[in-house]
Amino acid sequence: MKKLMIFITLILTVFTFNIKAETLRILAEAGDEATLTIAAAQFEESNPGVTIEASYLGWDDFMATIKLKLADNNPPDLAHGNQGFTVDGTLIQNGLVIPLDEYADQYGWKNLFAEGSLAEFSWSDDGSTWGSGSLYGISPVAEDVIVYYNKDKLKSLGLSVPSNFAEFENALSVSNNAGELPIILGGADGWPIIHVWGLIEGAFVEPEQVRSWIFNAKGTEFKTSSRMKAAKKLEEMATAGYFGSDSLGIGYDDANAMFINGDGVFNLTGTWMTAQLNEGMGDNVGAFAMPRNSSGVAGGGSFALPWHISSKSSNPDLAAKFLDHLMSNDFVDDLMEIGRVPAQAPTINPTSKLQAEVISASNALVGANAKTFYTDWSTPGMYDTVTQELQKLIGGAASADNFMDAMAAESIK
Amino acid sequence: MGSMNKFINNRPHKKIDYSNYYFILPAFLFYIIFVLYPLADTFYTSFTQWSGIGEKKWVGLENYYNNLNDVKIISSIKHSFILIIFYSFFPIIIGLAIAGIMVRVKVKGIAFYRAILFLPQILSMIVVGIAWRWIYAPKGPLNTGLDFLGLDNWSRAWLGSFDFALPFVGLIGTWVMFGFAMILFIAGVQKIPTELYDAAKVDGAGPFAEFFNVTLPALKGEIIVALVFTVTLALRNFDLIYITTGGGPGTSTMIPSMFIYKKAFQMNQVGSASSLGIMLTLLIFTLISLILITLREKK
Repeated sequence: MKKLMIFITLILTVFTFNIKAETLRILAEAGDEATLTIAAAQFEESNPGVTIEASYLGWDDFMATIKLKLADNNPPDLAHGNQGFTVDGTLIQNGLVIPLDEYADQYGWKNLFAEGSLAEFSWSDDGSTWGSGSLYGISPVAEDVIVYYNKDKLKSLGLSVPSNFAEFENALSVSNNAGELPIILGGADGWPIIHVWGLIEGAFVEPEQVRSWIFNAKGTEFKTSSRMKAAKKLEEMATAGYFGSDSLGIGYDDANAMFINGDGVFNLTGTWMTAQLNEGMGDNVGAFAMPRNSSGVAGGGSFALPWHISSKSSNPDLAAKFLDHLMSNDFVDDLMEIGRVPAQAPTINPTSKLQAEVISASNALVGANAKTFYTDWSTPGMYDTVTQELQKLIGGAASADNFMDAMAAESIK
Repeated sequence: MGSMNKFINNRPHKKIDYSNYYFILPAFLFYIIFVLYPLADTFYTSFTQWSGIGEKKWVGLENYYNNLNDVKIISSIKHSFILIIFYSFFPIIIGLAIAGIMVRVKVKGIAFYRAILFLPQILSMIVVGIAWRWIYAPKGPLNTGLDFLGLDNWSRAWLGSFDFALPFVGLIGTWVMFGFAMILFIAGVQKIPTELYDAAKVDGAGPFAEFFNVTLPALKGEIIVALVFTVTLALRNFDLIYITTGGGPGTSTMIPSMFIYKKAFQMNQVGSASSLGIMLTLLIFTLISLILITLREKK
């Protein structure tokens, strides 16, 4: 017995001297749970002695509390933020997160992407200007707003995948005349309409122009003639009944469930829905990037939520090392297997037909440099304004002119 | 308790025995920490510009001025007053009617029905909101029922309608609150001396005369309690709107408490949110005072 005790003590001593026990604390938005669970297990295995403690909060709770959590005296080492002045800007202005340029150079993150594509993570060091400057966040995942469609319905209507916006409009009209709901929309939640607007806006406004406005809403004209055309088009689509008569009474989750059950020819939403739609519809669901009015494609979209390293973290190097694991080429395949769309080109084959189409849509957007982010990033009050004004526009309670005026007024607030 | 009594008795005699106040000290400490301190802090914050972290910047009355000049906030206060009709007046009228009927008619198993009618009051507002969202849904039971009755033209997305969302959210409030009013009034009715009803009958009073001359005056105290409670709820209500419509469609069901939440947690305007909170508190305080002053017993 005594010998055994000595043996155990010896073993423990050896381990204690060899391995420094370290804990990395992570706070993430709940959508990342599957991704982080895999990444944490891999990282702990390849880095003995490291323990990862990850906790998750649902979107609303996360966004309502993240600033306070990072302002705490004992914040997580690594945490999600959200692009825009509301979250990221505030975190940087208060010095709560650190610039990642040193780590990005050390690990070569900037070489993974095209020049300028990390602009959404770039800020001046006082947090007052956005779109250029130091790199404050990074993400391995792309999220794009594209068009999902019901393959059987499109086929039975005698339609093919539209290659320009006029063809898309024609498909809506044909669906409507055949008694099919052209677009399923969960407008009761407000924010899903932002994604619809992003696609219509992208079809008419140059993506570069949309991004400039989002980075600097105060100093960039909102009421341009091309954007006016987009607003009029959305009004026209709503009046024609392309979203049905009940869209403002349907929530986002219900709308997707209805689409899976055969309501709606098109579903204009983000690539985060890929795994769920594939599970529900199998080979009956396809996807494409929204074709523009002139040529090419465009769509709302960006990297997923940025990862930030807390300025109070006792071990920022370890946090960066874990980030590099997420950004590594090996991890791309793991992302594919969970059904997410990696920001880097994958090395393995897509896990489903839908994922293949989604990745090609996503690649088309990257190739055309045509991601237009999300309207609500532009100002702290924009989320409220754009959801309310879009509900009014879709519900026929306001005109395209009213919409443009309200949006322009919020832009310069 | 014996030792405690000894402790108190051994103290030198003073005119007021302050030792009794020690008993409320624990509760009062909690009250200071969780009510008075946050209230004072909110009051101070309401004069500042503050993103929620970092320094508060003193701006004087600017937040109050901006709130009063914000058409969206003014219209949200109007919505609150409309909700008072649904959260307060309707439940009290229904509660009085039920109490009046129960005085005249003896129903078998009355305790069971009373419990059923009171049930909405004890459910969590979140549960109530989710259930009614389903009832009002485009393909929910309400519309299915209308279709079944051949009233297809009437069915619609109730909570997605600019005209119907507010009154239909209000009706949920009526459903939640009338059980409370009813229980209050039934209890009140039971303390009315039966001689009064006998005398009314002798004088030839019918059910309506009996109700207006005996039951209603006797329930004045209970009506005041019901008014204070339901009006307060109508004005500070948050969860029901948050769950059912989130203030939409557009701003058609927006109420001040939704703005407080949005300003504080979505827009980085904690100072402005605080000022709106203080304004809402003052509004509730004023209305309740008016109710008490107008309706109190005249000596």
